[in-house]
Amino acid sequence: MRQVQMGPIRSTYEDDPDMLEIVREFAAELPARVAKLESHLAAGELRDLQTLAHQLKGAGGGYGFPTITELAASLESALKQGADDAVVKDRAAALCATLRAVVVPGAP
Amino acid sequence: MNPEVPNPNRVLVIDDSESIHKLVIARLRPEGLEVIGEVDGERGIERAVADQPDLILLDIGLPNVDGFEVCRRLKEHPATRGIPVIFLTGTADTESKVRGLDLGAVDYVTKPFDQVELRARVRAALRAKRLQDILEQQSHLDGLTGLWNRRYLDQRLESELNVARRYGRPLSLVLVDVDHFKRVNDDYGHLFGDIVLQGIAEGLRAYARRSDIVARYGGEEFAILLTDTNLRSAMYVSERLRSSAESRHFEARTEVVNVTASFGVACTEDLAAELTPEALLKASDLALYASKDAGRNCVHLYRSGELLLATGNPLALGSDGGEGH
Repeated sequence: MRQVQMGPIRSTYEDDPDMLEIVREFAAELPARVAKLESHLAAGELRDLQTLAHQLKGAGGGYGFPTITELAASLESALKQGADDAVVKDRAAALCATLRAVVVPGAP
Repeated sequence: MNPEVPNPNRVLVIDDSESIHKLVIARLRPEGLEVIGEVDGERGIERAVADQPDLILLDIGLPNVDGFEVCRRLKEHPATRGIPVIFLTGTADTESKVRGLDLGAVDYVTKPFDQVELRARVRAALRAKRLQDILEQQSHLDGLTGLWNRRYLDQRLESELNVARRYGRPLSLVLVDVDHFKRVNDDYGHLFGDIVLQGIAEGLRAYARRSDIVARYGGEEFAILLTDTNLRSAMYVSERLRSSAESRHFEARTEVVNVTASFGVACTEDLAAELTPEALLKASDLALYASKDAGRNCVHLYRSGELLLATGNPLALGSDGGEGH
């Protein structure tokens, strides 16, 4: 998969004391999600890929990562429409790059 | 059991993503709500039935059973029908929203949700639920005495009889009629009659057990449903209620008025007939009439077709009739 380089991405809710802990958890779990996304993509498990994209779309913005929601939505819609492999791969790569660029907020 | 204040609000989240659960919990924390969650539709329905939340936040895109189907089943089930549902939707398309609302949802929130909007929609749904609960409870209450009304008692009689039949547990029914109530009304006025009914009701509620369902059955008649109670125990409860009514005094202008009540007790275990609401009511009513015939202010039991004096007015002993109804 094509690697895309990005600057660090931080949650817009890092400073919200109600949110800090769960943002940290969410961010810390992202590498595992990247691994899953990549393995589903490699194995051609498009349904599982779509479920993951759907969940990231729903959660991303809520955790202060609107870009995740945006890119996950675009991947989900490509999969729903049965778009070309190249399109799916591109969009998955963009999403993964963003997920990798997320910074886990420090301990309080 | 008496009408009670509702519990603190509980919200059930049914969403396949744990991330959403955590998010909802964090976002609703300032509202002081208890948030519980399930990741699966089937489990969500079971949880709703068991835990009776005040609000359900339901994801449309659930795996296996989807949110629409979960909503349809929640609205079909008597135990969850009244619980408001807000759909959590990943897509903002009109068709999904309309379909959800038509299935009985009260609202929808689009994921990713704005926290201020989520809270406002949750508050609005809970407000409506609270009013609905109050209305529902009031429709089951008697306005004058604050006891359960006849409609509620009839509903409970039906459902408790089912329980009694299924598990072979005894269920007793006591009918209570205020003695010479017409005379009280005629002599002291209807306003005083109302005070008497309120006083008797208060006594029944105070001296019944917590699990007993005390209702005003109409006019000057009351009914008490005693779950898991055999004839003997129901007799003791009735005697306690009878003597508490007897010792209660009402002040009318310068006079002190004493009012008594007659009791009829029947239990499913001692019923000769089939276990139906009508049969149990009829047996209690026969026992009540026996108490009236025996001179009032006493308790009679119905036992397999026989009517027995339990306790009460000693004047009635050995006498074959009172002064008429």
